[in-house]
Amino acid sequence: MIGSPDVVAFTKEDVFGDCVYPDPWVIPEEFSVPLFPQANNANPWAKTSYAKFTKDFILISEFSEQVGPQPLLTIPDDPKVCGTFDLNYFSLRIMSVDYQASFVGHPPGSGYPRLSFVEDSRVVLGDSKEGAFAYVHHLTLYDLEARGFVRPFCMAYVSADERKIMLQFEELSLRFSRASECLKTGNRRAFARELQRKLRDLEYTRSVLQKEEGLQREAGPQGCYSAHVVEKANELAAVEKSIYEHRDLLKQITSYPLRPRRDPHAAHCQRCVTESQTDAHSSHNAHTHPDTSPAVRGEEGERRQSYTPQLIKGKSAKCFDKRLKTLTELCQESFYDATVELLTDTERCFRGDLCYLHTRRLDRALRRKQNITNFLFEEELGEEEEEVAALGRIFCSLTHTKEAETRLHNPSIMLCPVKDMEVCTPCPASSALLSDALAGDERLELSLSDLTMETQDQESSEENKDSFSSDRSGGGDGGEKESDENVCPNADSNAITDRNADPNTDRADKESSSEDGGSSVLEDEGGEEADHTPIFLLEVEPGCGQQGGRTDSGCEPEAGMEAHPDSLVQMDTACCMSQEGFLYDSSPPVKLPGSGLGPTSLPLPLVVNQEPQAMLPFQGAYSLGSPHCQGPVAGLDLPVKSLGDTASRGSDQDSSDCTMSASAGSEQIGLPVGYRGVVTLRQRKKAGQGALKFVRQYPFALQALWSLLSGRTLVVLGSEEGRVRRLVSALALYVPGPGRCGERVQPWLSCPFSLTDLQSWKLIGLQRMASPVGTSMLCSLSRYSRYISVLDADQKTLRCPSYRGSLLANMADHRTHIRRGSTYFLHLQSMLSSLATRAFLLSFTHHLHLPIIPGEKRQEVEERRRGFLKDQLGLADDDCNVLLYLSQLITKHYLDTETTPHLEADNTSVTTHQDPESVSMPDPATGGAVSHQDPESVSMPEPATGGAVTHQDPESVSMPDPATGGAVTHQDPESVSMPDPATGGAVLSEQYLDPAKPLSATRGRNPPSFTYHYTTSQVFKI
Amino acid sequence: MSSGPPQSPAVAKTEVTVEGECPLLAATFAYWDNILGPRVRHIWSPRCEQPLLLSDSEVTFLANHTLNGEILRSAECGAVDVKFFVLAEKGVIIVSLIFDGELKGDKNTCALSIILPQTELAFYLPLHTVCVERLKHIIRKGRIWMQKGYNIISVLTSEIVPIMELLSSMKTHSVPDNIDIKDTLLNDDDIGDSCHEDFLHKAISSHLQTCGCSMVVGSNPDKVNKIVLTLCLFLTSAEKKCSRLCKADSSFKYDTGLFVQGLLKDSTGSFVLPFRQVLYSPYPTTHIDVDINTVKQMPPCHEHTYNQRRYMRSELSALWKAASEEDIAPDTIIHTDEFFTPDLNIFQDVMHKDTLVKSFIDEVFMLKPGLNLRSTYLAHFLLILHRKALTLLKYIEDETQKGKKPFRSLRSLKTDLDLMVEGDLNIVMAFAEKLRAGLHSFVFGKPFYTSVHERDVLMSF
Repeated sequence: MIGSPDVVAFTKEDVFGDCVYPDPWVIPEEFSVPLFPQANNANPWAKTSYAKFTKDFILISEFSEQVGPQPLLTIPDDPKVCGTFDLNYFSLRIMSVDYQASFVGHPPGSGYPRLSFVEDSRVVLGDSKEGAFAYVHHLTLYDLEARGFVRPFCMAYVSADERKIMLQFEELSLRFSRASECLKTGNRRAFARELQRKLRDLEYTRSVLQKEEGLQREAGPQGCYSAHVVEKANELAAVEKSIYEHRDLLKQITSYPLRPRRDPHAAHCQRCVTESQTDAHSSHNAHTHPDTSPAVRGEEGERRQSYTPQLIKGKSAKCFDKRLKTLTELCQESFYDATVELLTDTERCFRGDLCYLHTRRLDRALRRKQNITNFLFEEELGEEEEEVAALGRIFCSLTHTKEAETRLHNPSIMLCPVKDMEVCTPCPASSALLSDALAGDERLELSLSDLTMETQDQESSEENKDSFSSDRSGGGDGGEKESDENVCPNADSNAITDRNADPNTDRADKESSSEDGGSSVLEDEGGEEADHTPIFLLEVEPGCGQQGGRTDSGCEPEAGMEAHPDSLVQMDTACCMSQEGFLYDSSPPVKLPGSGLGPTSLPLPLVVNQEPQAMLPFQGAYSLGSPHCQGPVAGLDLPVKSLGDTASRGSDQDSSDCTMSASAGSEQIGLPVGYRGVVTLRQRKKAGQGALKFVRQYPFALQALWSLLSGRTLVVLGSEEGRVRRLVSALALYVPGPGRCGERVQPWLSCPFSLTDLQSWKLIGLQRMASPVGTSMLCSLSRYSRYISVLDADQKTLRCPSYRGSLLANMADHRTHIRRGSTYFLHLQSMLSSLATRAFLLSFTHHLHLPIIPGEKRQEVEERRRGFLKDQLGLADDDCNVLLYLSQLITKHYLDTETTPHLEADNTSVTTHQDPESVSMPDPATGGAVSHQDPESVSMPEPATGGAVTHQDPESVSMPDPATGGAVTHQDPESVSMPDPATGGAVLSEQYLDPAKPLSATRGRNPPSFTYHYTTSQVFKI
Repeated sequence: MSSGPPQSPAVAKTEVTVEGECPLLAATFAYWDNILGPRVRHIWSPRCEQPLLLSDSEVTFLANHTLNGEILRSAECGAVDVKFFVLAEKGVIIVSLIFDGELKGDKNTCALSIILPQTELAFYLPLHTVCVERLKHIIRKGRIWMQKGYNIISVLTSEIVPIMELLSSMKTHSVPDNIDIKDTLLNDDDIGDSCHEDFLHKAISSHLQTCGCSMVVGSNPDKVNKIVLTLCLFLTSAEKKCSRLCKADSSFKYDTGLFVQGLLKDSTGSFVLPFRQVLYSPYPTTHIDVDINTVKQMPPCHEHTYNQRRYMRSELSALWKAASEEDIAPDTIIHTDEFFTPDLNIFQDVMHKDTLVKSFIDEVFMLKPGLNLRSTYLAHFLLILHRKALTLLKYIEDETQKGKKPFRSLRSLKTDLDLMVEGDLNIVMAFAEKLRAGLHSFVFGKPFYTSVHERDVLMSF
C-alpha cells in the first residue's frame, strides 16, 4: 500500500520544481502579454474598477516654493468623488513634469528682473498602477512676493479612462485654455494692482526719505555727511532702483497681450489684443509724458487718494515664514469665479462614459447632414464646443464673450420654458449657467449613464416612474436645478433673462450694483490702479459696451421667446377654469413650421373667426397660465392645486405645466413638450420610460402608435390629470413633427375641442368631466370619431382603426425584454430613424412622383407610389399610410423652408378635384378654388398659398390656400384628402428635389394627389 | 538652445531616408541613469526634402524632458505608460512611452519618444493610437532584448522607420475628411455600373462587419481608390484620417492599424501580405481584391483578438529563447511554436448575409445622383447603425448589470432589437465593439474559448 507521505512527495515535486528551478526557456509573464486582454476583469465595463476614485474630476495643484507640490482644489468639491485616491501623491506626479525651462530673474545684460511669459503646456500622463490618467494643463501666475515672481500651477482633468482623454484631447485643450486665459488675466490684473500699490508705497517712501535726508543734511555741517546721512542716501538710492524695477515690471505686465504668441492652440481673443494695444500705447504715453494730459492726471490724482501709501523698507523680506498668497488672492475674484465656473462646466460636459460622449458627437454630426428630416423625430441641434472651435470662434472668457456666447448657446439655453426665463435675473458671471445650458440636453451620455441607475422597481412603479425629482437628485440635474434656484430668487420680474448673459456683463452688474449700494471697494481699487495701468488690466469693463450689450440682448427677450405685446390678449376669465389676466395668444406672428400640414393647415386666426366653438378650447389651451406669471394670482381657484409651489420651482418640465394648464396636477409630472420652450433630449429620454411602460402594459399599444404615426390624432381621455399627462408625455415620442416646442401636443385640455383643433394637435390629453362641459366634450369626441383615435385612460380602451402591418411591430412589442426606459428610448430612436429614412426615400425618389408618360393621371402616379411601397419595400397597406404621411410632412417641411416667398404671389389657377373617393386639395403650387360639398369632410388646402374658402357646413372647416385662393370640393365624407406631399404638395418636377433649383419653375402643373382614408374604428380593451 | 542639462557625451544617431515630407522631427531613446540622470541613448531623424527644424541638442533636451518626474514611477514591471506632451513654448509634440528595462545590469526607466512639430497636432491625434500600439509592441520585444543584454536599438529601429514612413505616407495619401460622393461607387447611375452588385454589397457588408477595417488590393490605382473612398464613406471623421489611398506608381507597404488602405499589386499581379502585421491589426480586416472582385474577411473580433494574442505570445517566447542576437531577427515571422500553430489562411469567405446593407444599396440607387440626396441617405443609414450599436450596448449593459453577470440572452436581444439576421447582428456588434472594446469577447468569448480549449485538448492526444 502506498502511504500518503509518498504521494505528497510526488505532488509537491512540480511546485518545488517551479519555484526553485524556473524553466529558463519559459518567458516570464512580465515580458509577455496576457492571452486574454481582459483576463483580470472579464467584462468590458470593468476597466476602471481599480481606480480609487468614482468619477472624473478636475484637480488644481500648485508647485509651492515652500511645501512643494500640493493639491488646492477639486471640482466637484466633494470628497466622495476622489475617494481614497491620494491627491498629494498625484499632485507630486503631475507637477513634477518639468514643463518648461523658463528663465526668471535678471537676464544677462539687463539691470532689471524680467518676467517670463511662457506659454501653457499640455501633458497627458498616467499612473497605470493607480489607474489614474490626466490631462494636465500647466500655467504660470505672477506674484510679486514669489521667487522669480512666478507661481507654477496646473489644472488637471483626472479620469480612469486614458482613451477618453486622448480621444477628446482637443476639446479638453480648448476648454482648459479658456480657463487658463481667464485665470491668467485675473492674475495679471491683480499683479498689476499689486505693483501699483507697491509703486505708491515706494514713491511715498522715497518722498519721506528725501525729506529726512534733506533735514539731516541741513542739520549737519556743510560739506560733511554723517554716516547716518550716507545710510539714508543709500536707502534712497535703493528705493529709487526699486521704483525703476517695479515700473519696468509694470510695463512688462501691461505689454503681455502684445507679445507674439507661440501657442497656436491658445484661446486668445483678437479684440482683447487690439484693445490692449491701444491701452498699452496710452499707458506708455502717460509714462513718458506725464504732464501732457492734465485732465487725466487730475482724475488719476483723485483716484489715487483712495489708497493710503505706506512706508516700506527698500528690500522686501523673502523668507520662508511668509505666507504665500492663495489662488484667490492671486487672481481677481470675478476672474477666479469665472475660471471655476468654466472648469465646473468642463467637468459636467465630459462627465459620463466615453461611448456615450463619442456617439453623441457622431450622432450630431450625422444629423446635421439630414436637416430635411430632423424635424420629424429629432430634438433641435445646438452648436457644440468643437464646432465653435472648428469655426474659429473661440470666444473670450474675459470681456468679449457676449456676442459669441449669445449666438452659440441660444438654442440649448432654452431648456426651461418661458416662465423660468422670466423669473430669473441675468445670471452671475455664469459660465456655470452657460454650462448648464450648453451641456443641457447635449449631455446625452451622462444622462444615459445616469439613467442606467434607474431601478427596475422604479420602472414598474407608476408613481416613482414619473417623478422627476429622483432624477434631479442626480449629478447633472441637481446641479442645474441648484443653479436655477440660486439664481431665481434674485429675480427681476420685469426682465426676461438672457441665460446666455455674458459672465463679464454679470460681473459688471455685480460691480455696478455694489456701486449703487454705496460699496466703493471695487471702485476704489479701480481708481487707484488707473494711473499707469491700462484699463483692461485693472478691472472688468463695466462700460457702456457691455452694459449696453446686456440691455440690447441680455434684457430683451430672445427672438423666438419674446412676449410680443400683440400676443397678449385680454380674456374673459369666466371662460376658463383659471387663468391670469392675460393669455398667451396661440397664434405666433410667424407661422409655426409644423402648422398647415395636411389636415391641419388652417391658420389659427381663421379658425377663431369661423368656428366660434373653437374659441373655447383655444382659450382653455392657451390661456391657462401667463408666461409672465410668477405664481398663482390671488382670487383664482385652481381646481387641484396651486401652481405656485410646484410649477415655479424652476424645473423645465414643471414650468411648462404652468404655461399650458389651468390646473397643475397633484403630482409633478413632466411634459413632453415645453410650450414655447424647446423640447429637449432630456425630456424625451424621460418620456422613454413611460413609453416602455405603455408598450408593455397595453396590448393595443401598436394600434395607438400607428394612429400617431399615420397622422391620425390620438385623444387620451381620462379623469385623472396625472395619468393622462403621463400617457401624453410618453406617447408624444411617437408624434411625427411635434414642433420645436411641442406645438402639436396638447397634454391636458379641460374644454371641448373642435375640428379645427385637430389641425394643430396630433395628440391631446382630454379631461373627462361629469358636467355639461364634459358632456359637450364627449359629444365632440363622437362627432369627430372618424378622424381621431380615443385612448380611454380610465377604461383602458382604445378606439381606433386596427393596424395590420409589420413596420411598427418591433417598436411596440409588449413582450420585449428591454428593461429600462433609457434603453427603450434608444431603441425607439433607431426605429424612428429607420422610418424617417424610408420616408425620405419615398419623398425624394423621383420616378414615384412624376408622370412617366404624358397625360398620366394623378391616381396612376399614386398607385405607382403605393406599388413602390408594397413591392419594393414590402410594406402592407397600413404601413404605407405611415410612410406616406411622413413623406407628406417631409415635403411640406421642405417646401416651407425652401420656397415660402414664391408661393405667396401665385393667385391664378383653380383646381377642383372630383374623385368620389377622395377630396382633392388645392395644389399649393398651382393654386385653386376649394368648394365644400360634404358637411363631414375636411379639406386641407395648402396653408402657405392662401385663398378664399366657402363654408357650407358648420362642422367642416376648409382650409383655403392663402396664396392661390380657391375652393375645395369635398365629395367623400369618409375621406380626407391632403395635398400630396411628395409630389403635389408641391414637388412636381425634378427641380423640386434639388434644393438648388427654384420651386417656382414648375408651378403651373396640376399635381397628383392621394386620398387619405380613415377607416372604421375598432375598440380595443384590456 | 542655451539652456538645458549637459549633453550626453556621444549620442548615436540614425538618419532615416524618407520619401516626401516627413512630419516627424525625431525619435529618441533615453533612459534614466542612476548617477547622471536622464540621458539620451539614440536619436533617429528623418532625412527628407525638408530640413530638420530641431538641432541635436534640442532633441536631447526634449528627450531628457520626457523622463522628468519618472523617478517617482511606481508602475508594475513590464508596464508601458504613455505620456503625451504639447509644449507650446518649444512648438513641439512629444509622445513618450515609458518602460523599465535592464541596461548594463541595472534596472532603468527608459523612454522611447517621437517628436513632431506642434502644427501637426491635428494630423497626429487620429494616428496616435496606431503609433502607440505599434511602439508598445516593439518595446515588448526590446525589453527582452535588453534583458538578454543585446542591443535594443536595432529592435526599435525596425519599428521607428516604418512609423516614419507611415506618417510620411499619410501626409500625402490620407483620405480626405469630406469625401465627395462623386468619387465613389455610390455616384453610379445604377447599381452595378462600376462593379457587380453583389460584390459591392459584400464589400460594404464585410467592411462594416470587420469594424470598418479593410484593405483594398488591385492593379488599377483608380479602381482601388474608388473602392477605398467608397468604404471610407462609412467611417467616422477620425477613422478617415486613419485611412490611406493607394499610391499610383508603386505600392505602400501594408500598415498595421489603419482602417482602410489601398494597396497596389506589383507587375506580376501579386501583393505580399505580411502575416504578422495583418494579425496585429486591432480589428479583423476585410480583404478586397478589385481585380477579381473577391471579398474575404478575418474571423470576428473575439477570435481575432485571441489569435493575435497567441501569436504575440509565441513571438515573444521565440525571442526569449533566442540564443544570440543573430539567432532571430526581430521581424521574423514565427511560424510555429510548441503550443500554437497559426492558421495562415486567416481570410475566409463572407459567411453571413445581412439585410441592412442590402436594403441600403438597393435603395440608395433609387435616389437620383448628383443632388446630394444620396449623401443624406447615407447619413441616415449611418445614424441608424450608430444608434443600433448604442442600443445594443445599453441592452447588454442592462442585462448583465454592466458586465457583472454573464450575458445569456442573445436570442432575446436579436428579437427585441430586430437583429435576427446574422449579418445584421455582426455589423451592429462591430460598431458596438468600437465603442466598448472587448464586447465580442464578453458576449461570444466563453463558448469560443471553450471550443478552442477542447480542440487543443483533443489535438494533444
